[in-house]
Amino acid sequence: MLNYKSSIIEDKKYSGLSIKEISPIMKLNLRGKSRDFLSTIGKNINMILPIEANTSSSSDKYTSMWLSPDEWMIISNNIIDKENNNYEIEELLFNKISKTNLGSVTDVSDQFVLINLEGESVFDILSSGCAFNFNEFMQKKGAVTQTLLAQVDIIIHHKEINNINLFVRRSFSEHLMSWINDAASRL
Amino acid sequence: MFLINCPFCGERDQSEFKAGGEAHIERPKQPTELSDDQWAEYLFMRKNIKGVQFERWNHAHGCRKWFNMVRDTSNDEIKLIYKMGEKPPTE
Amino acid sequence: MSNNLRVKSSEYIDETTSVSFKFNGKTYHGYKGDTLASALLANNVHLVGRSFKYHRPRGIMTSGSEEPNAIVQVGTDSAMTEPNVRATEIEIYDGLEATSQNCWPSVDFDIGGINNLLSPFLPAGFYYKTFMWPASFWEKYEYFIRHSAGLGKSPTKPDTDIYDHKHIHCDVLVIGAGISGIIAAKTAAKNNLKTLLLEEKTQIGGSTIYQNSENFKIDNKNSSEWLANEINELKKLDNLEIKTRTSVAAYHGYNYLLARENLTDHLSPSEKKDKIRQRLLKIRAKKVIVATGSLERPLIFNNNDRPGIMLSSAVKKYADHYGVICGKKNVFFTNNDSAYESAISLHKKGIQVQAIIDIRENSKSAIVNEAINLGIKIYWSHTVVDTYGYKKLHKISLMELSNDGQSTIGSKINIDCDCLGVSGGWTPAVHLFTQSGGKLKFRDEDEVFIPNIYPSKQISIGSCNGDFTLNEIIKNSSNSLKEFLEIENTEYENLNIVNSIETDKRNIWLLPSDKVIGKTKPFVDYQNDATAKDIKLALREGFRSIEHVKRYTTTGMGTDQGKLGNMHALGIIADTAGVKMGELGTTTFRPPYTPLTFGTIVGRNVGEYFDIFRRTPMNNWHVNNNAEFENVGQWKRAWYYPINNETMDEAVQRESLAARTSAGILDASTLGKIDIQGSDASEFLNRVYTNAWSKLGIGKCRYGLMLNEDGMVYDDGVTTRLSENHYIMTTTTGGAANVLGKLEDYLQTEWPELDVYLTSVTDHFATASICGPNSKKILNKLIPELDLSDENFPHMSFKETSIGKIKCRVMRISFTGEHSYEINVQANYGESLWEQCMEAGKEFNITPYGTETMHLLRAEKGFIIVGQDTDGTMTPIDLQMDWIVSKKKYDFIGKRSLYRSDTIREDRKQLVGLITENPKEVLEEGAQIVLDLNKKPVEMLGHVTSSYYSPNLKKSIALAVVRGGKKMMGQKLFIPMEDRTINVTIVDPVFLDKENQRLNA
Repeated sequence: MLNYKSSIIEDKKYSGLSIKEISPIMKLNLRGKSRDFLSTIGKNINMILPIEANTSSSSDKYTSMWLSPDEWMIISNNIIDKENNNYEIEELLFNKISKTNLGSVTDVSDQFVLINLEGESVFDILSSGCAFNFNEFMQKKGAVTQTLLAQVDIIIHHKEINNINLFVRRSFSEHLMSWINDAASRL
Repeated sequence: MFLINCPFCGERDQSEFKAGGEAHIERPKQPTELSDDQWAEYLFMRKNIKGVQFERWNHAHGCRKWFNMVRDTSNDEIKLIYKMGEKPPTE
Repeated sequence: MSNNLRVKSSEYIDETTSVSFKFNGKTYHGYKGDTLASALLANNVHLVGRSFKYHRPRGIMTSGSEEPNAIVQVGTDSAMTEPNVRATEIEIYDGLEATSQNCWPSVDFDIGGINNLLSPFLPAGFYYKTFMWPASFWEKYEYFIRHSAGLGKSPTKPDTDIYDHKHIHCDVLVIGAGISGIIAAKTAAKNNLKTLLLEEKTQIGGSTIYQNSENFKIDNKNSSEWLANEINELKKLDNLEIKTRTSVAAYHGYNYLLARENLTDHLSPSEKKDKIRQRLLKIRAKKVIVATGSLERPLIFNNNDRPGIMLSSAVKKYADHYGVICGKKNVFFTNNDSAYESAISLHKKGIQVQAIIDIRENSKSAIVNEAINLGIKIYWSHTVVDTYGYKKLHKISLMELSNDGQSTIGSKINIDCDCLGVSGGWTPAVHLFTQSGGKLKFRDEDEVFIPNIYPSKQISIGSCNGDFTLNEIIKNSSNSLKEFLEIENTEYENLNIVNSIETDKRNIWLLPSDKVIGKTKPFVDYQNDATAKDIKLALREGFRSIEHVKRYTTTGMGTDQGKLGNMHALGIIADTAGVKMGELGTTTFRPPYTPLTFGTIVGRNVGEYFDIFRRTPMNNWHVNNNAEFENVGQWKRAWYYPINNETMDEAVQRESLAARTSAGILDASTLGKIDIQGSDASEFLNRVYTNAWSKLGIGKCRYGLMLNEDGMVYDDGVTTRLSENHYIMTTTTGGAANVLGKLEDYLQTEWPELDVYLTSVTDHFATASICGPNSKKILNKLIPELDLSDENFPHMSFKETSIGKIKCRVMRISFTGEHSYEINVQANYGESLWEQCMEAGKEFNITPYGTETMHLLRAEKGFIIVGQDTDGTMTPIDLQMDWIVSKKKYDFIGKRSLYRSDTIREDRKQLVGLITENPKEVLEEGAQIVLDLNKKPVEMLGHVTSSYYSPNLKKSIALAVVRGGKKMMGQKLFIPMEDRTINVTIVDPVFLDKENQRLNA
C-alpha cells in the first residue's frame, strides 16, 4: 500500500490572508475541438464546458475551467479518497472521448497543487508578483486566468469574492508557497 | 513592455508571451525536392527590418496558442494581431 | 541651534518636534518636516561638498531632485552606507548621520582643492587625452583618479533592508501633484476613472501651495488657499489613490511606468525596523497625464558655483515652505519675472533684499511694479561678472551689458551679499515624456523644448507642457483634459484667474564678463565640473553632435543627469556653432529620472527568491539521507549520497559499482513527460522523431531522437505506446518545456490537420528507476502479481499495474545498460514508492545513486546526454547514431538538413570514445584534443565532453568530439594540459557490454 503525501503540509494564517493546500482533488485535463467533444462531455458530466475565455462553470461535483479554445481543466469540488486513484469520471470520459478520438482526457491530479488563498489581502499578494490586471477579475466570481506569479506559471480560479484557488505545478509548489509566505509576512 | 492583446485571452503583459520570429514562412511540403539553396532559404533567411514586420508570437504562459502580429519595429507599435491560418493583411 | 534663520512657523514644519542629526560628525538640530538641506541652511551650513574635478567648495543649490551639489553619503556603518543621496530630498530623522561625499580629509580642508589651482591643466577630455597612453598603465591611473575624485562609497555588505514590487493597473495615472496634476487627478477621479496620483515630494500642491503673492488669485482667493481647498476635496474621492515620496523613474512604451515609492527613509531607525523600505511600482495605465512641472534654470556667469548661490525658486521655497532663510543679505539675479516673486516674499518677511539684477532692459509686469513700489533696487541690463568668497559667498560684482549682450560696459559695481538667488527662466520637465518616445519641438520665443508628438495615450499639462502662467496652466489643462478624458466639462472652465503677466524677455546662455572666457569659471554642469569653456573647447576640437560633446565634456553625465545645465550646454553649442537650437536636438533622456537603489530594482528577488527551484516528490527522502544536490535547470536533483564523509568520487565509485553488481535506485521524476493522444499520434511521432513509429506495438517502448530543422540533435527520450492512439513521451529534464512548446508550435502552425493533443504530465508522476542484476527480484517483491518473465515483460516494454489500489506504470527500459525498471506513480505517492523500493531492495543492498553516477553508468555504455555530449552543432550522424535515422521515411523534422553540403562533410566533429595511456588518469571535461603538438598554431581537433573513472572497467573512460573522429579509430592523440600532456587513443564510444547481455540478464 502506498501512502499519500501532498507537497504542502502547513496551513498559514496572516492578517487578511489564510493559505492552505486542498488535497486530494481530482483534476482532469480535457482537450478537444469538435461540437461532438463538447456535447459528449456535457452529457457525461452533466455540465457544459465554458467556451467563453477566462471563465468557469460548476456543478455539484465538478468545476470546469477554460484554459484555451481547446483545453479545459475539470476538478472535483470535494476531497477524494487517498487510498484509491481510480476515478470513475476519468475512466468514463477516457472511454467516451479519448478512445473515440473526440479529443484527449488526461489525469493531472498531481500535476497541479491546489492552494487556496482567502482574505481581503489576496489580491495584494498577487499584485506584488503578477502583472495580470485583477481590477475586473476581483469583481467577477468564477473568473479564471492563467498567468505568472513570481515567474511561476499558475492558474487562478476566483471561487468566491476574496477567495481564490491557485493551481501550480507540483514541483514549483514549495518555492511558490515560500514566496507567498514571505510576501504575506510583509503585508 | 508591450501590452499584447491575445486573440483568445485578451490583453496581457508581454511577460506572458514568447516571440517566435518572422511569420508566414511555411515549412516546405516536400523538403526532399529542394536544392541546398532552396532549403537554406527556408531554414536561415529572415528579414530584420526597421519598420512594419510580420511576427509570430505565442501566449506561452497563458493559453499556449500561437498567433500573428504586425509590429512596427521602429516604434514598437502593434498594428494588428490575427490568428494562425488567417491571411496577412495586404496593406 | 541658530534660530534666527527661522522666519516663521510653517505648516509643513513641526516646530514642536526637534530632530537631532549629524552632518560631517557634528550634531545639529532641525524640525520634523525638514529636509537635510533645509535643516543645514537653518543652521547656516551652506558648504556641503566639493566639486568633482576641481574640488571647489559647493553649497546647496536647489530644493529638489535636480540638486547637483548637495550629494551626501548617508549612514556611517560601512556595511549599510548609501552614497549619492540628495540632501534636498532626504527628510531628517533622529539618528540621521550624513557626510559630504566628495572631499578628503574634510569639507573644510580638502586636499583635492589644489586641482582648482591646477585647473588650466584639467580641460575637457583631459583624462581621455592623458591617461590613454600607455594603455597598460590605465589600471594605475584609474586607482589614482578614483581616489582623488572621491565618488561616494559603496556599502561593503549585503543590504539588510527589505524592498518589494507592486503591479498597479489604473485608468489614469497622473504624474506630479502640483496645481495641474491636482486638477487632472480630481477631474479624472470625479469622472469615475480609477486614478493614481504620484508625487515625488512629501506634500502635494507643488509650488502653488506656498504661493503667498497677492498677484496670483483664483476666484478671489489666494492661489494657495484655493489649491488647499481643492486638495481637501481631492482626498475625499474614492477611486483616487495618492502616493507621495514616489518618484517616477521610467516611462516605457504602452504606458508602462516604473516608480519608486519611498516608505521609510524619513523614519528613525527604530520606526523603520522590519518595514519595507522602498517599493518599485510597476504601473500599467490606460492613460497617463504628465504634470511634472518645470525646473528653474540657473544663469551661466563667472564663478556661479559658490556656496550661497542658489536657484531663486529654492530661496523662496526654503523661506515660504520650510521657514528658513538662506541669507541675511540677499541679491537676486534674473532674466525673467520669477525672481521678483522670491524677492518680494523675502522682503515682506522683513529679510533684506539688497538688489535685483535683471539682464533685461525693462519689464512692466504687475509683479515687477510691486517690487519697484516696495523700494527694491533693480539693476536693469546688468550682469554679475564675478563672485567672491571661497567657502561662502560674501560679495558679487556686476556690470552693465552691451546692447548685443555679448560684452560688458561701464565700471564694476560691488554688492555685499551672502545669498544670490538666480533665475534663468524655466525648463519644462519633459524627461518622462521623451523617455516614452515622445518627440519635442522647440519654442523659439522663450527657448524651451515642449512636447509635440505623443507616442501613446498621454498628455502633458501645466508647466511641463510650456504653460507658465497660472491662467494658462488652469485653462489649458482644463481644455486638454476634456479632450483627453472625453468628458463634457470640467470644474475649471469659468474660474476668475488673476496673475502677473511677463512683458519682456531676454536670454543669454553664456553671460559675458570683463575677463576673457579663458580666465573665467562659468559652470554649466556643477556636478561634473564642466564649464562653458570646456564646451567651447570641444567644439573647437571638432565635436559637433550634441551626444559627442556631452561625452567629451561629461556635461549632463552626473547623477543629476544635467537637469540644471543641459539647456545651457545646448544654447552655448548653438550660439558658438551658429546653428538654431531647435535644429540641434537634445541628448537622449534615459531612465531613471532620479537614481534608484539596486535594492528597489531587484525587490524580493534575492537570496532564496533569486531563482526558482523545483523539487521532486522524493526530495524529503534525499534530504534525510544526506544527499548532495545538483542544479539541473531549475530542478534540485540528488547528485550523490555520501556515507561517512565520502568525497564525491568515493561515493560515485561505490554507487556505480552497486548498480552494476546488485541494485541501484535513481529518482528520475525530473524527466519531461508528455501525454499524446489523438488519431494521428503515430503519424505525429513519425514527423518529430528521426525513426519510425507506426509499427511500434502497443505496450512497447522506443528510444527517439528529435532534431531541429537544421538537422542538429535537439532532445531524446523513450516514448511508450499505451494504446492505439495514446503515447507517453519522455524528454530530457532540461528540455521538457521547450520540447512541449516546439511540438505545440508544429501542431498549431505547420500541421493543424493532425488530430493530436499534447498534455504535460511531468509533475503528475513520480519516477523511481531501479537497475542492476537484482532489480527484477526487487520489483517482484514490490508487485508480486506482475509477471516479470522476459516473455511477458521483455526489455523495452510497458505494463500498467497497481501497487495496492494505486495505479502505476512500469517500463522496462534502461539508461545504464543494466536490467532495469522505471516505476511511475502519481506524484503524491512518490515518496512512499521510493521507501517501499528501498525496503524491498534492502536484502540486495539497493543503493540510491544520484545524477553523477547516472552519468558515469551511461557513459560506460556510450549513451549520450543531449546538452553535455551535444551542443546544438551535432547531427545524429556526427554522434555515430546513423542507426536511428530512418531512410524510409519521406520526411521528419530536420531530415532535409542531414544532407546539406555542410552536414555531410567528413571532417565534422564526431563523437568518439577516448582511453588514456595511463588508465588511472581521468581527463578534464572540456579539455582540447590535438594531433600534432609541434604544428603552430596548435590545431584543436575537438574536446572532451564526458569523462570518468569507471570502477566497473577499472580504467579512465571519456567521450569526446573529434574532427573526422569516426575514421580515426585507434589513432593516438594528445591532450595538452597546463603542466603536462596526456596521451589518449580513440576507441569505440561503447565501453561496456557491447552485446547488451546485461539488459537481459
